[in-house]
Amino acid sequence: MRQLIELNVNGEVYPIDVEGRTRLLDALRDKCLLTGAKEGCSTGDCGACTVLLDSMPVTSCLVLAASAVGKQITTIEGVAKGEALHPVQRAFMDLGGLQCGICTPGMIMTSIALLEENPNATRDEIRYGLQGNLCRCTGYDKIVDAVQAAAHEMDGRRRGTPRVETGGNPAMAGPLQADTTGGRSPGAR
Amino acid sequence: MTATETKTTTTNGRTDGANGVHQIGRSVPRIDALDKVTGRAQYTADLHLPGTCYGAFLRSPHAHARVVSIDTSEAERMPGVVAVISAASIARDLAIVVEEEMHAARRVLSLFPNVGGKVTYHGQKIAAVAAATKELAEEACERIKVEYEVLPPVIDVREAVKEGAPLVHDETKPVDGLDHGPFAAPTLFNIAGQNHRNEGDVDAGFREADRIFEDTYVIPRAHQTYIEPQSTVADVARDGSVTVWTSTQGHFAVRSNLANSLRIPLSKINVIGMTIGGGFGAKFGGIVDTYCVLLAQKARRPVKIIYTREEEFLDAKPAPGAVITVKTGVKEDGTITARQAWALWDTGVGSGGCYATNRVKGVYKIEHFKVDAYDVHTNKPAPGAYRAPGAPQATFAGETQLNRICAAMGWDPVEFRLKNMREGDQIAFKETLQAVADRAGWAKRQSKTGPNEGWGVAVGEWTNGAGPASAVVSVHEDGKVHVFYGLMDLTGTDTAMAQIAAEVLGVRYEDVTVSRGDTNSAPFGTASGGSVVTFSFGNAVKRAAEDAKKRLLELAADHLEVAVEDLELANGRVSVKGNDESLVTVAQLGQMALRSKGGPIVGHGSFASEPSATTTAAQIVKVSFDPDTGQVRLRKLYGSLDVGKALNPMACEGQMEGGLVQGFAWGLMEQMRYAEDGRNWNPGLLDYRVPTTLDFPDIESVMVEMPTKNGPFGVKGIGEPPIAPGVACLVSAVADATGVWINEVPLTPERVLHAIKANGKK
Repeated sequence: MRQLIELNVNGEVYPIDVEGRTRLLDALRDKCLLTGAKEGCSTGDCGACTVLLDSMPVTSCLVLAASAVGKQITTIEGVAKGEALHPVQRAFMDLGGLQCGICTPGMIMTSIALLEENPNATRDEIRYGLQGNLCRCTGYDKIVDAVQAAAHEMDGRRRGTPRVETGGNPAMAGPLQADTTGGRSPGAR
Repeated sequence: MTATETKTTTTNGRTDGANGVHQIGRSVPRIDALDKVTGRAQYTADLHLPGTCYGAFLRSPHAHARVVSIDTSEAERMPGVVAVISAASIARDLAIVVEEEMHAARRVLSLFPNVGGKVTYHGQKIAAVAAATKELAEEACERIKVEYEVLPPVIDVREAVKEGAPLVHDETKPVDGLDHGPFAAPTLFNIAGQNHRNEGDVDAGFREADRIFEDTYVIPRAHQTYIEPQSTVADVARDGSVTVWTSTQGHFAVRSNLANSLRIPLSKINVIGMTIGGGFGAKFGGIVDTYCVLLAQKARRPVKIIYTREEEFLDAKPAPGAVITVKTGVKEDGTITARQAWALWDTGVGSGGCYATNRVKGVYKIEHFKVDAYDVHTNKPAPGAYRAPGAPQATFAGETQLNRICAAMGWDPVEFRLKNMREGDQIAFKETLQAVADRAGWAKRQSKTGPNEGWGVAVGEWTNGAGPASAVVSVHEDGKVHVFYGLMDLTGTDTAMAQIAAEVLGVRYEDVTVSRGDTNSAPFGTASGGSVVTFSFGNAVKRAAEDAKKRLLELAADHLEVAVEDLELANGRVSVKGNDESLVTVAQLGQMALRSKGGPIVGHGSFASEPSATTTAAQIVKVSFDPDTGQVRLRKLYGSLDVGKALNPMACEGQMEGGLVQGFAWGLMEQMRYAEDGRNWNPGLLDYRVPTTLDFPDIESVMVEMPTKNGPFGVKGIGEPPIAPGVACLVSAVADATGVWINEVPLTPERVLHAIKANGKK
């Protein structure tokens, strides 16, 4: 059943017509022509379509467009304020946190939500928070580097202290180190 | 360059070149990073051409069946359906084919199975539909009626070669078999290709040995799992000329595939390579682009086909699995006297794999070496390349067995390798292994090993090829430099090319822009695969920049009224040597050129092929395992890579780390699984597991620089080798931890647990 809805995306209102079954991802990409969110699997496994729904990261392939009415939707296109990049975007660029770039929009959206919730996230907490976003190019190290550097940068801005320079690969410690379960036991099926 | 001149650099503490003077060696951000972090980069699926309709496929639910009938009439009548193609429709369209075109026509006709013909794998395309929406196209596919006569499939290569096994392709002739080895038989069946290599005399070599080891290794098919699925948009103009927007590693390769397979003149095809969301060897065309063009020819509207993730697993080009037996003779003093390998590669309905068996030899001095390897047909899709194609499988067998030999004979695996490694001009096998061993503290590892923990080491290699490449470098009136060519950037090569142009022309990397031409506008360029492009295009861009530099210096010499030899070009200006006052900027020269006799400043560079030198990837892992659950965890990871010259250390590390994780993941968790009836068992990311952030620890990377003389600034191709050692490295570490050698991967918890229990350990 076709219906007219209004989506609030990145602070702008998009009046669009959708089917009841239309996914938020398709509404964003095909109706709003905001193609930053990517489709990698359509089953919520890869995280490339992650957007923020009232600050919560969601895989937009599993959300119905109609259910997003009345909520603030933020996509990768709405992250930079004019010319000013978000510190997470800047850090991904500077520290090699992307290669092919297809996972990058989703990875950045999840990272922003993660740092909003936990501004002082440790390396382990960053790894834990990004487990739903798959990247096949980087091996993840430089993504974790980037989110950690962004956390320092954002923390510095809040405190008014200079940006912390990073670049190394500090060894991991703690209980989450290389936890292969993550609730999803590899090959256990 | 000798081995002693090798410079080992640790790139964790990065430098940005010597005061910004050098543009190579800088860890600059990717040239496309801004577009990618803001969502502006245009991938194929992001295209929204007016009037676009959407393509979908009907696929075989059976792995092996005869097609009794296909009825597309109901689908064709559906409102909103604009094109339906099948073997019958293609045959109708080709009815006027004349005799000399039959060979080409056969290729088109083989795109779908004929009625009376066979489907040979689960998920094979039967027909395709283009319709106003994707949902409508899928619904139309469901309305195509197909009758099958189901046939028994063959899934395991060891069964497929036996007499009496179902023949995947009825026309495949039996071949003479071997009178020795693990699959000795008078005749072998379902053979798609063969590779026999014989160096020295292995029988004599084995007679010299004090001990002989023989092991069989089994590795499954793995999917490259690029996050962007295969995707193409095609449009056909009234005059029949074709435009294709596609996700590919080689747009010129796509153009020639289309020209050959669809009998369209090359000049009537323009391929636009969009930003690519990962390829790793699987995106050279033929999976969706051909069908997309056929649909667009019928629809006379743009057609868009985006594969689903399930289609990726059912019907793309995954890496072949293999069963490899290795026999090695060793003297008590640790000398390898002979090595022999037999292999069956699971190449599904296609071929391509068995040549990589030669890599079982590794980087070692082995006088007597013999290979008998076969590509074997099974009822699975044809294989493709996956980063260093064939190397992870062969290296798994070769390197794991070396570690088992070391364990059995009491040798340290690093020392044993150093003793047996080849040496030579422009190669750094030993230095690369030593570099990672030093970083990991290998010699002192025992003091860092707890209960249920173990260490593994392995070495892989790759020698980049080379291919035709061409570039145009222009200097504009604002002093900025532009590079234009037909290079598909997979891994950061546009960035490396900008750094090369900047270095040669004495400007900053930030002052260089790069654009990729489509196949109509750019000069030919080899596809991005096999680690060839930084080497090949790097030479072309360097030559083009040098050509532009020559022109700059000539203009400057004229302007400053001195000889060219007295000039130097640096920091965006040309000055007279020893006289800093007398100078002209590159921007001024760019302006002067417009009014000069020679016109604007443009440099051309072309490159065909020159040999490179082998690069090495060495890796060390520390693992732990849980004796109750069998779960293996990676605790520490170290990788080294001989990059020749690190144009961009950050990008080199990125290549190394990404490849390393893919290699280890193949050993730890990845496998395409097929049921007894031949159906793909895990066509999704929930069941085909690729690593998440939680599966791997941080990686400590070490770059080694042993330049090769034909590479631009000494560069070697580095994309491939880091995937090679992982499987062997992991399996060996688990053996060190458990005392059990598990010769089949992936090391799932149940496999590890069963192996330990079967061996009565722990």
